[in-house]
Amino acid sequence: MLVLVPAFNERDCIAAVVADVLGAGYECLVVDDGSVDDTAALAEAAGAAVVRLPINLGVGGALRAGFRYAVGHGHDCVVQVDADGQHLAEHIADLLAALTAQRLDMVVGSRFANGGDHPMSWVRRRCIGALSWAIARTGATRLTDPTSGFRAIREPLLGAFAHDFPHHYLGDTFEAVLVATRRGYRVGEIPVTMRPRQGGRPSADLPASFSAMVRVCTVWLTGTTFDLPHRPD
Amino acid sequence: MSTAVKQALVLAVGGLLTAGVILRLARRRLLTTRYALGWLGVGLLITVAAALLPFVGRLGRLANMTPTAVLLTMSSVILLAISVQLSISVSLLQERLRTTAESHALLARRVEELEQRVG
Repeated sequence: MLVLVPAFNERDCIAAVVADVLGAGYECLVVDDGSVDDTAALAEAAGAAVVRLPINLGVGGALRAGFRYAVGHGHDCVVQVDADGQHLAEHIADLLAALTAQRLDMVVGSRFANGGDHPMSWVRRRCIGALSWAIARTGATRLTDPTSGFRAIREPLLGAFAHDFPHHYLGDTFEAVLVATRRGYRVGEIPVTMRPRQGGRPSADLPASFSAMVRVCTVWLTGTTFDLPHRPD
Repeated sequence: MSTAVKQALVLAVGGLLTAGVILRLARRRLLTTRYALGWLGVGLLITVAAALLPFVGRLGRLANMTPTAVLLTMSSVILLAISVQLSISVSLLQERLRTTAESHALLARRVEELEQRVG
């Protein structure tokens, strides 16, 4: 099992996140997504293995590099954790337990499962609600927080993602989940609490979020996205 | 000189000029053959269209269009096709660049690991 932390200019938090993960007893890989600050050096000093992308590829690009690393190093399971300190290392064990207990390919840590709540703007909450509804329409599963970046993924889905994974904003979360459920992979969720981000800047501003929503609608209506092979039985 | 002949001359000169510039760019390796061929085709097509201007005029009358409109429509379609083709190329290049960047980063990591092991 490998904990995968995609990071772009997260110098304020990365050391604490790595320390958290290592402290909980897991192996930690930080994929530095072409940061212009010293994120990579700080992560390395904190004890993580670091893969440095030469150019900024977006979260999805960093993740696929991480998936490829994991598969290449013989891991059959990864847990993806944000570099901004929102996610608590203590929940990693819960994600892993849910993978085996519920026989899932992917488990998403949800801020809203079981009536949970998380402070965010009304518009943002509604957008996430809409994405959740879109996934429920595939009939396979109900995910209350499909944009969450706190997930556990294991084979055979891990290998499929290592081969093809979208790299634009929301592609790595919503579209990945949507395509995985459409292709027969079992995706579930567990409730988690998240801290407010501990430093750094959010990766998406308002125009980026808007264009992402337009993209997502197009993807959902036309099916023009990446694809995965159907889940082998 | 009638208007039609003048138009045909302007077109022919424009077409040949385009083809000339493209050839020069290709010779200086600023354009690969793949793209040079496409644009050369466009230049030559314009020249041919100039020579066939009376025919173009007749074609236009069928659709109630002036010869100029026919030519403009044709060139728009060609430009559209070329832009779409370029967009496809750019998308492909993006994907390849991404895969290359990832592989590069993973290899660099692998070298680091090996260096650590060797001491």
